[in-house]
Amino acid sequence: MTAPAIAQPAARRKEGFSAFEIFVFSLVVALLAIAIFGPLLAPDSIYSSDIANSLMPPSAANWFGTDDQGRDVFWRLIVGAQTTLLSAFLVVTLYSLIGVTLATVAAAGPRWLDEALMRVTDIGLALPGMIVALGFAAAMGASLRSAVIAMAITGWPITARMLRGIMRQTMEQPFVAGAQVLGVSKWRLMTKHVLPNSLDVLIVKWAGDIGTTVLVLASLSFIGVGAQPPSAEWGATIASARGYVSTAWWTVVAPGAAVAITSIAFGLLGDIIQVRRDPSLRGN
Amino acid sequence: MLMSIDSISKSYNAFPNPPAKVLHDVTLNVDTGEAIGLVGESGSGKSTIAKCMLALIKPEEGAITYDGIDVIHARGEDLRRFRREVQMVFQDPYGSLNPRMTVEELIGEGLLIHKLEPTAAARRARVAEMMEMVGLNPNDMDRYTRSFSGGQRQRIAIARALVIRPRILVCDEPVAALDVSVQAQVINLLQDMQKKLNLAIVFVAHDLAVVRHLCEKIVVLHKGKVVEQGTREQIFDNPQMPYTQSLLAAVPVPDPVVGRARRAARRLETAN
Repeated sequence: MTAPAIAQPAARRKEGFSAFEIFVFSLVVALLAIAIFGPLLAPDSIYSSDIANSLMPPSAANWFGTDDQGRDVFWRLIVGAQTTLLSAFLVVTLYSLIGVTLATVAAAGPRWLDEALMRVTDIGLALPGMIVALGFAAAMGASLRSAVIAMAITGWPITARMLRGIMRQTMEQPFVAGAQVLGVSKWRLMTKHVLPNSLDVLIVKWAGDIGTTVLVLASLSFIGVGAQPPSAEWGATIASARGYVSTAWWTVVAPGAAVAITSIAFGLLGDIIQVRRDPSLRGN
Repeated sequence: MLMSIDSISKSYNAFPNPPAKVLHDVTLNVDTGEAIGLVGESGSGKSTIAKCMLALIKPEEGAITYDGIDVIHARGEDLRRFRREVQMVFQDPYGSLNPRMTVEELIGEGLLIHKLEPTAAARRARVAEMMEMVGLNPNDMDRYTRSFSGGQRQRIAIARALVIRPRILVCDEPVAALDVSVQAQVINLLQDMQKKLNLAIVFVAHDLAVVRHLCEKIVVLHKGKVVEQGTREQIFDNPQMPYTQSLLAAVPVPDPVVGRARRAARRLETAN
């Protein structure tokens, strides 16, 4: 006798990635690959001028044409990708460290310290980040390093404010009281119990922040307080080529498109991770 | 006497309303190795007492003494010893274990922070021993708690609390979130542990059947006051206070005939 067929609940389907998500992921991976390996392949000529060859339109030899110094625009973009992305990662890492430290101190510390730190954060939030960064960078002397430092010291307030709130919520969880009853030190309580259970949301934010940071860094370089010529950094490249927009559009459009694509790609990556984590946002 | 709670009072801030007083002059004692039940309805202050006993909150008035330590003002070495010797198990087996720690880290944490075992290997061995003692498979040591059931998690919580050999275990409704069949297992485990380790258990519960099985001494609370305390027999067989009587009457009876008779009697009582 055969047992009657029992309807098996369909095995929970692992949700696949949509074509769009795969597109964004591959774009980000490609950008990272270009930034890491691209410069190894670049010809040496990208920093030396060849005036006879200047402002040549895109061709088989120079895919994106050449600039006013006769340098290959395509390879300068590739080399610039490393400078740009590395700087952006550095900026986000630095201000995240500042934000995480201040949030942890505020959440763990006594009431007055929390209040004081949050009021300082309010001031930071109220100031327009880019203008302040511009001021700092100009004061430190225009260079890529100044721009990175300036953005790191102006970028932390949102991280600090968000994380401090999340940590306060995490501290209401019973396992935190449990750790206190066990007698863990304040340091261990915060670093081992509270912080690891509070970082999820911020990791999403930081992925998206890379995109914004690329844009702001390029802007600072464009107005002259960031990377300086002959750096291949994208903002600096646009700045030095802007006189030729009408005669040699490719010298400006190529790095401009690179900035746009990179910041949009990382922004979308942040959005995708966020929606994946919280399916209630899907469809927006 | 291991721990004495001497007429403590506690209010919670309820701004803009005046502070809500949740404990009035509560006095009770815990002796070595005894299981004591704190019972009462929701809002009777039983969890607040548990939190005061664990020095998670401080009462405004009164004193709590544990083995010569003034618990409310304890610091330094006194506080460390108190933290080692008084442990707890929570109601919610889901929220009470850090989801980012493995079972080994969770159970071994007390050994680590109180430096009770010198090496990682020795800690691991103690964790394995403890897991067997509470009925868990030591092979699951490297897993995270999300893959365990509620009952298993409560065993992990008990192992975590007991591995450092405390003298008092405060259990705040430790079985209220579990299936009835699993409740009995956890209660039996606690009873076993109490005997094996000469552990004093303070058991907070609203379920009298559970308390009756485990606790020799029972304290009945109502609106933040102790209304009656006594041995299991005194409270269950001869309750003196009307509140205790009504609490006992509310315990569901497995026999439908008895249950029907009781309900009829109660209806008659209210009719009169």
